[in-house]
Amino acid sequence: MRAMILKEFRELRRDKRTMAMLIVLPILLLVVFGYAANFNVDTIRTAVVGPSADQVAEQLPDLFEVTINEPDETTDYLTDLLVAGTVSAGLDTTTQPPTVYVDGSNLFTAQPVVSATNALGDAVDVEVLFNPDLTTSWVLVPPLTGLILMFIGVVITAIGLVRERENGTLEQLAVMPLRPSTVILGKITPYFILAAVDMVIVTILGITLFDVPFNGNVGLFAAGAALFLFVVLGLGVLISTVSQNAGQAIQMALMVLLPQILLSGMIFPLDAIPWGVRWISYLLPLTYYTELSIGVMLRGAGIEALMIPFIILVVMAAFIFSAAVLRFRKDLAPSAAKAAS
Amino acid sequence: MTAVLETRNLVKRFGSFTAVDDVNYLVGPGEVVGLLGANGAGKTTTIRMLAGLLNPTGGQALLLGGIPDRSARRRLGYVPQGLGLYADLTVEQNLAFTAEAFGVSSSGLPSSLAGAADRLVSDIPLGLQRQLAFMGALQHAPDVLILDEPTSGVEPLGAARLWDRIRSEAEGGAGVLVSTHSMDEAIQCDRLLMMAQGRIVAEGTERQIVGDTTAVEVATDTWQEAFSVLAHSGFVVTLAGRKVRVVDASPGAVRTSLDDHDISATVTEAPATLEETMALIAQP
Repeated sequence: MRAMILKEFRELRRDKRTMAMLIVLPILLLVVFGYAANFNVDTIRTAVVGPSADQVAEQLPDLFEVTINEPDETTDYLTDLLVAGTVSAGLDTTTQPPTVYVDGSNLFTAQPVVSATNALGDAVDVEVLFNPDLTTSWVLVPPLTGLILMFIGVVITAIGLVRERENGTLEQLAVMPLRPSTVILGKITPYFILAAVDMVIVTILGITLFDVPFNGNVGLFAAGAALFLFVVLGLGVLISTVSQNAGQAIQMALMVLLPQILLSGMIFPLDAIPWGVRWISYLLPLTYYTELSIGVMLRGAGIEALMIPFIILVVMAAFIFSAAVLRFRKDLAPSAAKAAS
Repeated sequence: MTAVLETRNLVKRFGSFTAVDDVNYLVGPGEVVGLLGANGAGKTTTIRMLAGLLNPTGGQALLLGGIPDRSARRRLGYVPQGLGLYADLTVEQNLAFTAEAFGVSSSGLPSSLAGAADRLVSDIPLGLQRQLAFMGALQHAPDVLILDEPTSGVEPLGAARLWDRIRSEAEGGAGVLVSTHSMDEAIQCDRLLMMAQGRIVAEGTERQIVGDTTAVEVATDTWQEAFSVLAHSGFVVTLAGRKVRVVDASPGAVRTSLDDHDISATVTEAPATLEETMALIAQP
């Protein structure tokens, strides 16, 4: 048994990825997620409209950070801001008593707003928009569709490509008169189609099983989901280019997926994550899919309101996919790559 | 004669290790050239550079007169050692895929594979898998064939069939480069290139490479002791059954060495085999 234990340690010492997973990763995860794991939002972006906007803005508790103060604007303007996700709460002084509108799609922001305004008694009315009962599953299901697809898409694509390398068929593809782009597209298209079908099934199941509303435009959601899938499959290809076998591909995929779960705003609100860690959130594709899916499904937001996450997903898809194709191309046709350079 | 394969001062280094060191050779149309050498001699690295799978560190690897780009690879048939077959596809599906990739119609299965058309590649024996890989590589009538250990693990009849096909391809004008460490495969080739430590150490036909090299055959009951004594005396020693063979040595010197250790043996001289010559040439 001693020989077996020694052998295992010697192997582990040389397996740098596993060693990183065993030693570095737990420390990193604890530190990063420790800071991220916070449900308490200190300030809430708030808009105030109506004739008494200035006066009311002055009197609001510190929890409300008034970012927009428009005395000449109306209730419609306020709800537009909430639909766009520009603010999480809105105070409408065109009504008597004033009405506080709360974005129910942002659960951990909505809850303290509701508590704070309830404490004011009859002085204000409270209306929770998009998720009136503050149902947890309503805000979790839309990003969950992305997370599930990300897990399946990244792992399956990476394993599919690594398997070609392990079986030596990648080498055979490389000597065939096929363009690297043909090989990559031919390899990825089936996964894209399957992942898209999966996405539809998961979304429909989420809506029917958990009664999640779908208030927005289906086409807009489909376009966002397709962009997200491009990013996901690109990540799968990238992982495959740095993995020698299926085990390594799964290890890498887990390292990519874990931060998405905890830092994308799906579980912990982004506003509650300190900036030292929050910048990582803004590098994660699931962060933007979370914004998009909740925006479309719950808030019924349109393309104008979701332009930023859309553009960022386009940039991410272009960047990750290009990097993946270039790396894969280098693997597939080194002579052609050299000749081209 | 335009070479179908050519290396010019070809070098490949992996870090500080030089796998291929200043290698120059040509393979002409209609020629079957054997690239011979022990494992690690640099054969596979060389053919991977010729197929465009690896970039040379120095020199050139030319396929049909140019760099192994897509248009050149259209005229290449390549069977790697690992065969490159899709284990989860049937025999017929594998062939159909290769044919479509090369833009030709599938050539149909030979009689030896016809019965296995609908079987998964993972379920057929290695000999049939090799035949299938070979069929796939020939479907587009390539002008050049690169075969890595083509009959390794194939039973004698299957190997004969494959060699028959290689020969007929060469007669049709294709240049063939066969990488092998098997003497059975080497003797099928028109010309041999012998590699050791990344270099070409001998070139020519089997007869030219063996030349006048002789071996001294030692027949004795204590053959194990004789082997040990002669090896320790610095001779290049091989075994043929229970007979010890000493390459490129004089019978007198062998006799003296055996007498010094009181080993009684019959010592005769014979022409060296290709394998023995290879062992001699490959000496560091």
